[in-house]
Amino acid sequence: MSAALASKYGYDEWLVSRFLQYVPDVDGFLEKMERPPAKYIRVNTLKTSREELVARLVAKGFELGDTAIHDVLAVKKALLPTGATNEYLLGHYYIQDLSSCMAVEALGADKGQAVLDMAAAPGGKTTYIAQKMKNTGSIVALEPVEKRARSMAFNMERLGVSNTCICQLNGLRAADIGTFDRVLLDAPCSCEGVIAKDPGRKTSHSPEDVDYCASRQEKMLKVAIQVARPGGVIVYSTCSFAPEENEAVIDRAVKEFGVRVEPISHGSEGMRSFGGTDFDPGVRNSRRFYPHLHDTTGFFVARLRK
Amino acid sequence: MTYRKPTREETTAINRALGRWGAYEALKDSTFLVKDGKPNKVCIVSPALEEQAIALQPYAAGLEIGELGKQFTPTVAGAYLFARSGKSRLCVQVGDDAEKLVLYGRDVMGDSIIEAAQDLDENELVILTNQKGEAIGIGRTRFAGKSLLQKGRITITTLADAGRYLRDEDESRTKMARR
Repeated sequence: MSAALASKYGYDEWLVSRFLQYVPDVDGFLEKMERPPAKYIRVNTLKTSREELVARLVAKGFELGDTAIHDVLAVKKALLPTGATNEYLLGHYYIQDLSSCMAVEALGADKGQAVLDMAAAPGGKTTYIAQKMKNTGSIVALEPVEKRARSMAFNMERLGVSNTCICQLNGLRAADIGTFDRVLLDAPCSCEGVIAKDPGRKTSHSPEDVDYCASRQEKMLKVAIQVARPGGVIVYSTCSFAPEENEAVIDRAVKEFGVRVEPISHGSEGMRSFGGTDFDPGVRNSRRFYPHLHDTTGFFVARLRK
Repeated sequence: MTYRKPTREETTAINRALGRWGAYEALKDSTFLVKDGKPNKVCIVSPALEEQAIALQPYAAGLEIGELGKQFTPTVAGAYLFARSGKSRLCVQVGDDAEKLVLYGRDVMGDSIIEAAQDLDENELVILTNQKGEAIGIGRTRFAGKSLLQKGRITITTLADAGRYLRDEDESRTKMARR
């Protein structure tokens, strides 16, 4: 079956055979990945209101729809490129997938808190956190590559963010800079969930990449837990479906560090077992987002309490 | 590049600039940092970020609102805050068509100006706003007073605009594609 599906949709067979183990309705999933992903924008309430933005974009011929998150709008029709309106240039919205906003929702950052974003560029989640905090408190955003840090600084400027600093530092060194009430780790991953945006990923990576990513993710999550204050929240997310990069990483964190996995209101339940390993029962509180079920890019989110 | 608290002289210069740009009342209690450079840059930061930024000396901190040279020159982000904070005589309002052109970096024709203070001098820095009063760029007047409104001539040179975010991104993509 995997060979036929791989041939039909142009994937490496090993990848489809893996999807058959952990993606529900693989046919529907592969079909969905052939179509352009849904478009979403997030209202930047640091500069405008949802009502004001909707009125302005509708006047320009946009058709917008509601989503599970009040500040996020589905773009159903646009006469202009979404990234070329005056409102975009003035920072009234950010083009961001709904699933990515779910990670920020799960973080629950509030006014006055100290927040760390361990893998921040290009800054979509960071700027959404700043918006949630109404530009109070502080956010330390880490991005080791200067070009990406510069791009992120542009986004912060465009969106009017004043409570954030960008440090050119690898997330693995976050322990050097203090402790935090909230820690977001949107971990570098094998990106299985964004194939609809980047079809080259159907054939560009190997099973070894998943193992490499999982090993790095585990190290980064260990640091994230270390720098979270007692009682603090860590949100771990990836845009991969691979259980090795998701539930397995969370399961080991629960067992090794005693963190609790807290419920999240949207998405599908996390897996209970994979590859012969039964995960801690709390791991099912993590959430999976599938393109064909949730109309988002593929995503995984877990909210951990230290 | 070092982030530090402003000196007393710099604080005076910042307050004077806020007054000149009509934003003193709205922003006087904000927390400012100076980023050393040529010229020095002024950033607004949340109070909680101030000490953290000084300790960490990050790549970027807070919102860069202007440059402190011989005079204070606002950035587009600073202009946006100033225009939103209060009405300044240094704001020049342009029409919808001109808004699109300014966002492509084009200069302003006299015909496009909807509103400008009559006491503006030649060679004066101004904030270009759209009809909703939102800053879309920074300009420098080529004429004084009513002459700014003359038809068929460029009367304000656009120095910076909010559209550069998009142009810089496109340029960066083009460079990447060339590699």
